[in-house]
Amino acid sequence: MSEQSSPRTDIGVSLFLIVVCSLVLWEARKIPPGVYEPLGSGPIPRAVAGLIILLCLVVLVQALRRMARGEGVTTGEPEFPLRYLDAVGVVVVTLIYILGLALELTSFAILTTVFLTFTIGFLTRFRRRALAVALVLGLVMGFGCEYLFTQVFVVDLPTS
Amino acid sequence: MELLQAIGTIFTPWPFFYMMIGTVLGITVGAIPGLTGAMLIALTLPLTYYMTPINAVILLVSMYVGAISGGLITATLLRMPGTPAAVMTTLDGYPMARSGRPGRALGLGISASFVGGMVSWVALVLLAKPLSIIATRFGPFDYFALILMAMVLIASVSQGSLVKGLISGLLGMLVSMPGVDPSTGMPRLTWDWYMLNGGLKLLPVLIGVFAVSQIIGDILELERKAERVAMSRSGILMSLIDWKRQAFNLIRSSVIGTWVGILPGVGASIGSIMAYSTAKNMSKTPEKFGTGSEEGIVASEAANNATVGGALIPLIAMGIPGSVIDAILIGALMIHSIQPGPTLFINNADIVYAMMAACLVANIVMYLVMTGAVGFLAKLMYLPRTFMLPTILVFCVIGAYALDNTMLDVWVMMIFGVIGFFLERARIPLGPFVIGFVLAELAESKLRTGLMITAGSYEPLFTEPMSASFMAIALVLLVWPIYGDWKRSRRAKAAAAAPPDDG
Repeated sequence: MSEQSSPRTDIGVSLFLIVVCSLVLWEARKIPPGVYEPLGSGPIPRAVAGLIILLCLVVLVQALRRMARGEGVTTGEPEFPLRYLDAVGVVVVTLIYILGLALELTSFAILTTVFLTFTIGFLTRFRRRALAVALVLGLVMGFGCEYLFTQVFVVDLPTS
Repeated sequence: MELLQAIGTIFTPWPFFYMMIGTVLGITVGAIPGLTGAMLIALTLPLTYYMTPINAVILLVSMYVGAISGGLITATLLRMPGTPAAVMTTLDGYPMARSGRPGRALGLGISASFVGGMVSWVALVLLAKPLSIIATRFGPFDYFALILMAMVLIASVSQGSLVKGLISGLLGMLVSMPGVDPSTGMPRLTWDWYMLNGGLKLLPVLIGVFAVSQIIGDILELERKAERVAMSRSGILMSLIDWKRQAFNLIRSSVIGTWVGILPGVGASIGSIMAYSTAKNMSKTPEKFGTGSEEGIVASEAANNATVGGALIPLIAMGIPGSVIDAILIGALMIHSIQPGPTLFINNADIVYAMMAACLVANIVMYLVMTGAVGFLAKLMYLPRTFMLPTILVFCVIGAYALDNTMLDVWVMMIFGVIGFFLERARIPLGPFVIGFVLAELAESKLRTGLMITAGSYEPLFTEPMSASFMAIALVLLVWPIYGDWKRSRRAKAAAAAPPDDG
């Protein structure tokens, strides 16, 4: 990948950070001033959030100028195809897996087996041989981790 | 004497087991492209809750030593640095391997890594205690100014622009602020949500930023195909003539690496780049650099390993992380109720000496394991990432959950994984984020203590010699890159405005 990010990414990320920091600034208004000490709890979060907004504005302006000059719109794109759909898919499946654990749908071992089999299958385009290996790996990881963590390391697992 | 005792302790069964496991796992992770030492250490932290603090630091420091070294294998055989620290090794390691001498390239790198580690260990032993004695004299404003200087330094030397480095560091500080303010006992930035009263914990944020974001990035780049060179062990051991020929380069690069490591937050990549550039500038054959130069491999590897011992010096002496992995180590010490900083030598001397002993023994084990098993380690590069990445995601979930047995931490991990991924895409470095997160509480408490002492006056920050010096350095570090950019753009504009030379 190139050293420089694309202006579009810069704009998106800096806008997101400006929104987050504005929310922080809004929330920080509620913090009362210090009673026993000169500074209190509020000024530092306010200063930090304000500085981030300021710096993000600098990045935003720089990105807009680069975009206006037609510079670097395609920078950041490597020579090989990026698997955006796979990345989004894995994040979504992981969120579903975590939700399953949070709702205690079934045991950790079973949920982990299903998660690994499906995710690996998804990344390998559900090739039959890969799917078989994924199922074995899922079973080993699911039941193995449940035993290892709860019985050997004595670490609690979700749903265990 | 205490150090000798600590070295002796390493050779007792459990500490020795943890040291071996740590070093081998570190090398293994370093040798697998896409996995980093920071990721491994963040994921291992939950397992250390149930260990004694000494065993925990032995395991983590050994992983640190191993992970920095393992990156050399992929850098040489795949032209893909296994860890960012090995990036300069690719420039000469890969061409040398491609010209039919992979064993020679790896042998030079392994030996240089060993020497770098040993030189920095000597510096660690000699400098940590005197520096911690000096640090005990720091007042609250001195400490605040030191942290401010460290933050600016980290931002200014991170990859990409100074502005983005600063955004990252400040964002890390901001993320550490929600929760009950320890000074007043009042909740802040919680949006009246009681679950945020405890604040965002370090571990889920770390696993998210360093492991989950990396996994998302790796999945995105699954199609990346690396050029491969077949492994051969021929030339894996350096001869006496080699040692003699490279002696000065080895020592110089190790000293540079150690020095860079000591600077707060400046990691192995910068050490390696500086040593490589120095070696090139001082070489009789600078034209060979980038084409398989032995000096280049030696300089890069000696320096990146030397940063390990160097970076432990500010951690032990002042509680300031010398690198991203050191920031995670600070988190590990805090989990075990150990306060890093100048009093560490007084309150937990056994921990300090265990760290030093682990650094030494792990370095020796690293040399032996890498020399003996480099052929096997090279095969790890070919592990299919489609199987590996989802498996690591499961460990991320377990690691985040195990901290407090709450699913909130797992959600926090995922959120920061996605945020970390987008920050990386925008070339906002993640190192300053973590260091800002770890140091924010200390910086704020020192500033507020200082202001209480002076009844709200900021004057000592600019008049006390120590804090004034740190503030001045911070200012120079902040202004220098901006001035450099301004000068460059002026020169570019002047060149563009100049009439074309018909000559």
